[in-house]
Amino acid sequence: MLKNSGYSLHNLYPYAATILSIALAVVLWLSKEIIGGSVALVIAAISFLSARDLTREVIKANEQKCHLDQQLIQSQKLAAIGELSAGIAHEINNPLAIMGQETEWIKHLLKDNNIEGPGATEELRDSLQEIVRQVDRCKDITHKLLDFARKKDPLMQGADVNKLIEDMARLVDKEATQKNIKIVRDYRKDLPRVQTDPPLLRQVILNLLNNAAYAIGKDGVITIVTRQSSNTSIELVFSDTGCGIPKEQLDKIFDPFFTTKPPGKGTGLGLSISHSIIVKLGGRITVASEPGKGATFTIHLPAQPSRGEQ
Amino acid sequence: MPLKAKVLIVDDEERFRLTLRKLLIANGLDTTAVGSGKEAIEELKQQPFDVILLDVKMPEMDGIEALGELKKINRGVEVIILTGHASVDVAVEIMRLGGYEYLLKPCPMEELLAKIESAYERKVARDERMRKAEAIQTDQAS
Repeated sequence: MLKNSGYSLHNLYPYAATILSIALAVVLWLSKEIIGGSVALVIAAISFLSARDLTREVIKANEQKCHLDQQLIQSQKLAAIGELSAGIAHEINNPLAIMGQETEWIKHLLKDNNIEGPGATEELRDSLQEIVRQVDRCKDITHKLLDFARKKDPLMQGADVNKLIEDMARLVDKEATQKNIKIVRDYRKDLPRVQTDPPLLRQVILNLLNNAAYAIGKDGVITIVTRQSSNTSIELVFSDTGCGIPKEQLDKIFDPFFTTKPPGKGTGLGLSISHSIIVKLGGRITVASEPGKGATFTIHLPAQPSRGEQ
Repeated sequence: MPLKAKVLIVDDEERFRLTLRKLLIANGLDTTAVGSGKEAIEELKQQPFDVILLDVKMPEMDGIEALGELKKINRGVEVIILTGHASVDVAVEIMRLGGYEYLLKPCPMEELLAKIESAYERKVARDERMRKAEAIQTDQAS
């Protein structure tokens, strides 16, 4: 990832080199008694001038690099916008096409003046309901997009992650039981409390549990594991025995609008929103899967000493 | 004038293909609708079609792959791409594979009917030319 250079140690090298060269020139001048005044003066002047030129070159190169970095970031942004626009167009155009057709069908029914029979009235009602459904579908997409784009600065609080997960697992449990999906919990008891934004983390956990249940469909197991991976980080692992994710789709799984669900069933924004939330919380989310054997999503979060615990 | 074209709709969006089928039938077109590229291939093996309305973004087999396979089964069938996904690269690939037209959803019904009619006319003209060429060859042989 590219970073703006700012005042990094790297930027101080040319100045350090200049100072050292000047220091060398001064030392040579002071030691003029030993090596001869004019020789020392010439060597000192040469070393000073070459250090000055070198410094100028390095600063110029640094400025060029910064400029190129900015250009690259800008082109990456433009590419991302292009990709996003194509995704939005596809997701919105499909419901629009259905609404257009249902309207055409209503016009067809009205044109024939044949809407008195119970069948025709039923068809009219059905078409209108379909238009309402498709409007909701568009609304869902635009609202999620706004949610995705909105700058939500996390409000960090100390939280017991096991409890956060358990709250969400209970929510999903009821529906899962009906589909014979068992949720197995393996929470580490002395898991350190973390500084996080509890509502945002809940949103991600719920999304992962819902996805896991969807991938299983019926009869399966969702396993939740919490563990401390190092002194400064914890891991929350969500595994399912569902259909898994094909290898070629693993790279795209966090991309906006990428979905394996049938049309109208998923916006393809859930995992990309989850990904951006976890990054905002200072962590990362990874996925592993073997098609046919399920998928495992792991959230890595920094564990810091908690302050002002809730 | 009612169209006589035999049309196959291929789209994974169920409501879209079912309502479009009803509308095309209401406009006098003999229409069948299927939900995937694989089903379209099976359908085209079973019976001939004049025009195929094909979606691009579909699971398992996308429209571009399906177009190639459908053209292998029946080179003369005219394929109109009807998609919500606008992409120059995809449009170029579609034309390269012999697609007739590339339409973006939502497409007004009148425009779609006009495109089907024009694709059908092309199909009929091509079939006619092939029949004449075959007749000449038969005459020459006898």
